[in-house]
Amino acid sequence: MTLAHYMGVAAALFLIGIFGALTRRNIIGILMSIELMFNAANINLAAFNRFLHPVGVTGQTLALFVITVAAAEIVVGLALLLAIYRGTNTVYAEDYNLLKG
Amino acid sequence: MIEYAYLVALIPFAASLIMLFAAKEDPHSPAPWIGIVAMAVCLGLSLSILSAVASGSVDLPVEKNWDWFSFAASVDGKPFFHGMKVGTLIDGPAALLMVVVTLVSLMVQIYSIAYMHGDKRFKRYFAFVSFFTASMLGLVISSNLLVAFMSWELMGLASYLLIGFWFEKDGPCEAQKKAFMTTKLGDSGLYLALLFIFAKVGSFQLSQIKQFYAMGYMPAGAAVVIAIGLLFGAMGKSAQAPLFVWLPDAMEGPTPGSALIHAATMVAAGIFLVARTFFVFQAAPVVMDAAAWIGCATAFLAASMALVSYDIKRVLAFSTISQLGFMMCALGVGGYTAGLFHLTTHAFFKALLFLAAGSVIHSVHTNDMRLMGGLSRKMPVTFVTMFLATCAIAGVPYLSGAYSKDMILANVWTRNPAMFWIMLTTACMTAFYMFRLVFLTFTGADRDHEKHHHAHESPFLMTGPLVLLAFLSLVSGYVLSRNGLIHALLPKPALSAVTATPSTSHAEHAAAAPAAAHPEHQAAAAAPSHEIASASRHHGESHDGHLPGWLHYLLMAAIAGSILLSYMFYKGPDYALALAFKSNLSPLFTLLDRRWFFDDAFDALVKFCDRVAALAFWIDSNVVDRIFVDGWGLLMRIVSEISNVLDALLVDRTVDRFGGVTVGSGVLLRSLVEDGQIQEYLLYVAIAFSLAATLILIY
Repeated sequence: MTLAHYMGVAAALFLIGIFGALTRRNIIGILMSIELMFNAANINLAAFNRFLHPVGVTGQTLALFVITVAAAEIVVGLALLLAIYRGTNTVYAEDYNLLKG
Repeated sequence: MIEYAYLVALIPFAASLIMLFAAKEDPHSPAPWIGIVAMAVCLGLSLSILSAVASGSVDLPVEKNWDWFSFAASVDGKPFFHGMKVGTLIDGPAALLMVVVTLVSLMVQIYSIAYMHGDKRFKRYFAFVSFFTASMLGLVISSNLLVAFMSWELMGLASYLLIGFWFEKDGPCEAQKKAFMTTKLGDSGLYLALLFIFAKVGSFQLSQIKQFYAMGYMPAGAAVVIAIGLLFGAMGKSAQAPLFVWLPDAMEGPTPGSALIHAATMVAAGIFLVARTFFVFQAAPVVMDAAAWIGCATAFLAASMALVSYDIKRVLAFSTISQLGFMMCALGVGGYTAGLFHLTTHAFFKALLFLAAGSVIHSVHTNDMRLMGGLSRKMPVTFVTMFLATCAIAGVPYLSGAYSKDMILANVWTRNPAMFWIMLTTACMTAFYMFRLVFLTFTGADRDHEKHHHAHESPFLMTGPLVLLAFLSLVSGYVLSRNGLIHALLPKPALSAVTATPSTSHAEHAAAAPAAAHPEHQAAAAAPSHEIASASRHHGESHDGHLPGWLHYLLMAAIAGSILLSYMFYKGPDYALALAFKSNLSPLFTLLDRRWFFDDAFDALVKFCDRVAALAFWIDSNVVDRIFVDGWGLLMRIVSEISNVLDALLVDRTVDRFGGVTVGSGVLLRSLVEDGQIQEYLLYVAIAFSLAATLILIY
């Protein structure tokens, strides 16, 4: 198990996340894809710490913070979604054009 | 006492300021007595200083200086720190002049109390007179040429104010301007000379400049330039040809003011300056000769003009110019003592002549001698005093003028016999026109009965000064030349080395001469030791003050003949002989009456300058302005118009186009890209990020 393996897994996970975020119509799915990308980043953080600086746990600690922040962020995101849903009565992202210039 | 000499200049100055600013203007103001008391105090001071100087109890010259200001300067490229000093330098001539100036000024002021009585600017006149005198005294006592120059200019201002005292009339206004401009023309030369002196010597102190000359540091060329400048200044102030044109016109001022100008202050200043800086002239013999010839020409021309004038004051003015010519000529031939001696005696009898003429004018209310005549019975005191003064100026033996004039003629004779004969002729002319004045005014029958009837003797305030001045005119020559006092008082500066190449035969003649003989040796003994050598050498060689015997008798005979001729011409009430002469020789009379066309020449010069100025103005406005200034303006306008068009068409358009492109592309992009689809935005971000990452990886 080398660093490359971990980075390969993380890259795959990130691309899946990107793909999901770009292609899903359902806004819930997009949010889930974003969570996937977060986790790809977390894998990288833990892996780099493990292989490049095994003495400390800085990377792992940072990963834990990211998880915490992601949880908080998803709470806000879901609250916003709920508000938008009440206004538009749809969950498809292409129908949300409130930011159109 | 001698160290308080500065008070002599400061007291009248203070008095004039008090009179000018503190006193109230009033035709009967008592303010003039301030000036008179101040002048009397100064006279006392001056007399005590003169007695100290004449008794030989002090080492001359007495110099006393105070620090004035200091500055950095450079002489011939060498920088140094110069401490300017202000102070007094009292030597024989200065001490004598102080007495003369204060005495004449005092007499003039006392006289003026009566003469100017009731004038609406009564006290202002006295303030001016005090100011004038103070300026002259400042020039006389100053040890510093810069201060002397300032006094000199203040005197120019004072003469301007006095000549134009009755400025409501046109004549005085023109005269004051003429006097001011003409003397300023001379002053420019003096100013340049001062600058030159400072540039060479690095000091304005007379004693230092003299030392500089004595050591022989002054290059010959610079010495000539400086001497020319000083001489030019003196020519303006002392009315030498051709700058004398202002003096006859200056008669427009109050007559006692003229007396002051002609006797004590203004015109004496030029002669005194030349005498004060005599070492400068000794170092430049060429300029000495020029001064002698200028003086000679002035004396002759002015005397000839006086022959035909009928204005009593103008005759006196011409006579002043002529006598100043005598003095300048004396200084020019190296007769330092003679020139200053004549300055002194002339001050007394010329002041007297003017004051007496003022008395006559005061009485008959006209300047025209043709309307006078027979006044001797009405105005006996004026007549007697004026007659004595006339004898003095004409050179009647044993009166003051004879001593000084003989001395001048003796100096001229030893130096230049040709010049001597001109001067002798001039002396005869002097006797002629002065007695002509007396005959026309006082003797014969009255020509204007109205005026004669109202004529009266002047009050005591006017006749008193006349009598005192007449006394001085009588005795001053004798007193000053007795025991060689004048030689002790006015020793010729020892620097000479250039003067006098006489033969011994003249010296033998001198021993036989009767007038004021011998006492050089006593004089030399009285003089400070360092001067003995030069004084005795000088007197031994050039026998200052003695004409050869036969010439002396010839001079007396010529003068007596002139007086007789004058009597024959002007004896009767109608002076028929003179009129017949005039009609037969009218071109000559016209020439003299028009003052040898000097005024016309100056007029023509001014007109010519006007023409040149007008031409220059035309060229300036029509050529320079049109072509260069206007042309350049036009060219600039054309260039700037082109530049403007280019700017508008090219630069501004380019800027506008850039803006338009930016706006257009923004609008286009907005309609294309920004459609509110959040996933598209994300896609763009992803694409851009991928591209950036790819580029980073590649390079």
